[in-house]
Formats: sequence, C-alpha cells, structure tokens
Amino acid sequence: MVSIIDYGMGNVASVQKALNFLNVKSVITNDHSVIKDSSVILLPGVGSFAQGMENLNERNLVNLLTEEVMIKQKPFLGICLGMQLIMENGHEPYECKGLGWIEGEVQKFELLDLNIPHMGWNNIKVFNKKYFNNLDNSNFYFIHSYHVKTTNYQDVAATVNYGIDVVASVQKGNIFATQFHPEKSQAAGLLLLKTFFDLNA
Amino acid sequence: MVGNPVQVARVYNNRGVDELVFIDIFATTQKRKINLKLVADVIKECYMPIAIGGGIETIADINDLLKIGADKVIIKTKALVDSDFIKEAVAFYGSQCISIAVDAYKTSEGYKIFNHLDIDKSLDDYVQEMIDCKVGEFVLVSVDKDGMMNGFDIELINYVENITNIPIIASGGGGNIEHYNELFSKTNVLAVGSASIFHFTQYTPLDIKNELKKINIPVRI
Repeated sequence: MVSIIDYGMGNVASVQKALNFLNVKSVITNDHSVIKDSSVILLPGVGSFAQGMENLNERNLVNLLTEEVMIKQKPFLGICLGMQLIMENGHEPYECKGLGWIEGEVQKFELLDLNIPHMGWNNIKVFNKKYFNNLDNSNFYFIHSYHVKTTNYQDVAATVNYGIDVVASVQKGNIFATQFHPEKSQAAGLLLLKTFFDLNA
Repeated sequence: MVGNPVQVARVYNNRGVDELVFIDIFATTQKRKINLKLVADVIKECYMPIAIGGGIETIADINDLLKIGADKVIIKTKALVDSDFIKEAVAFYGSQCISIAVDAYKTSEGYKIFNHLDIDKSLDDYVQEMIDCKVGEFVLVSVDKDGMMNGFDIELINYVENITNIPIIASGGGGNIEHYNELFSKTNVLAVGSASIFHFTQYTPLDIKNELKKINIPVRI
C-alpha cells in the first residue's frame, strides 16, 4: 500500500488517479498508523515551501516521515513541492528549514530573459537511469518558480534546461523525487511511475 | 466548450493536448459556484495539466479545485475587485497555481478589461496590479477576436508581452494553420489556447503542432 501524504497542499487526487490507472493500491492519508503500515511513501504538493513545512508540522508529520524514510528506509517518491521539501532549506516566501533528507537547498529562478514561473513541457536529460529507462530526452510537465540545488551532483537523476540546467529529478538510495509532474505528463509520466512502482511496490 | 465536456476532455487527452483550460464563464454572473462534480469528471479523463476557472472567490474555492486534481486556477472578477485576495492566494498556493484571465478589448482610450460589473479598468493597470501580486500566468483573451476564427490579435498580444515577463497563454482568433504561424512568428508568446478551431473545423491540436514544428517552433509531439 502506498501512502499519498495529505497535508493540505493540493494535487493529491491527480496523483491517486495515475496510481489507480497503474493498478497501484494507494490511500490519501495523514493518519500516522496508516503511514507506518504502508510500504511506500508518496509526498505530492503544490504551493509554497514555508506553507508546506508548516502544514507538515501542524500534522506532526516531520518526525514521522523522517523515521519512515530515513530510518526504516521505505521507498519514497516526492513530486514537485514534495521534491523541494526534502532539501535542507527553502526560500519561498522566506527562508525556512526543510526535511533535510538530501543535502542542498531550494532557490528562486533568477533569469533575466525567461518567463517565471517555468511552466510547460520540457525535455529532460537523464543522468541516473534507474527509473528513467527509455525516458532520456522525454517531455515532462513542469510548473515551478523555485528550483532545487543539490550539494552533491551524484544525487541528481535528471536535469532540465530552462535558461540554465536545473535539477528535474533527484535519486539517492530509497529516495526518488521529481520537480515535474509525472501524473500530468501523459505517456512518459505514466511510464516513469510504472517503473518506480514495479521496482518498489 | 461545445457538447459534453467529459467526452471532449477524453478526446483532448488522447490527442496529446498540452494543457486543458476549463472555464465556467457564467459562474460569477449567475452568482453560483462552478459545478465541482462536472469538473471532477472532466479531470478524471486527463493526464495532463488542467487549469480551472469560474466563480472563484475564496481560498476554500481554490482548495476545492486543487483537491480534485486541478493544477492551476484561473481568476478574473475577484482579481478586478480584490487584488489583496490574489496576493493571499499566491502566498498560500504559490505563483504557479494562480492564473489570471485578461479579457481585453480595444477602445478609443486604449485597451480595457471586459467585465460585467461595469468596472472601468485599463489593461495596463490590471496587468500591473497582477504583476505586483506575483501571479503565475495570464490567460489573455482578445474579446474582439475570440470566436471569430479570423486570426489572433497580434497587436494586443505584443502589447501585453511588452509589459510583463509572466507567461501568457494567448487565445482568441485561431481559425486556420496560418493564424498559428503568424502568432508565433510575430509575437514572443510561448503558449496558445484554442477552442473554436477544434469544435468547428477538421483541425486537431496535433495538426497545428505538426505545422508549427515544420517552421521550427518548439512543440511537443
């Protein structure tokens, strides 16, 4: 069973719909015992970093998720804000500590010539094929104003060029996360999710 | 949208449309909320980004739409009368979630924002207020051209492009492939929205994307 973490930051229905399509059993929850009993943790999210952390804190989820993912080493999938929150620090709208599972921080795009937010379909460049087999150069749907900067380049699974190369996906041990929305990226997104859950669920 | 929205959404999803914009244009004037059940049924058909608009006035309205799978919400009337609400919405859900409908028409005093409240608002003031609210996107509709299928409002689109670097979805006026060529060669806009051409002609979204690819406009096929 996959726990899709419900912390009031939107987007949960689309994620579950994609999992249903793939016949992956999931539950949208913030119930501690349900999360502890699940085999995979999925953290989705739309919204600002600080609000996201506040909502996790309000539900006492920070320590619980850290224990499930970092100590019990359960497979983890973070999507969009769910990828950003696993970093050490964010700046949206003010500086704020994150879950800190991956070294690095989340920064605002500082681009003179390009539109912000970065919104639309872009090809990614794959560095770690574990989940991206057959997906190098595929199009995924991005929608974000802030981007992740990892301290260690080995943690970067894919990048996307938007004026500069930015992190599109991170992977480290049991942790996998995407800045783009696989659940909104039609065939390529569904294939990525299928690969992740085939290997982990 | 013409006909049954759920069926139309299913077709668009199968045709690889890049994004679905669904607006209930009568919600505010009829003083009601958008039909969440219908929106949920539309979203169920889609594995692509979805922006929903119509009658949004509170944070709870936005949350209702995000909860059932919308990625962005599109707001107009509330933005015209209460920009503080837009600031609040951006602070809560992030810029990327808040799109603003800009329904512009030309007058002898310059472009104005079309609305049913008789609010006299210039395009410039409206766009600047929304930039100050840090919104994520403008859905720019040329009221003069919308539904006419006789070409995009190049002048209007360039006008708005020049006053903001927030992403714009240009819409209103696409009727044949040439119109799309013209749009992307004469403006810097990166996204186009269309409806009539798909309802009333034989063109599919893929036809248009294929043509654009031929003239080296980056499109997702």
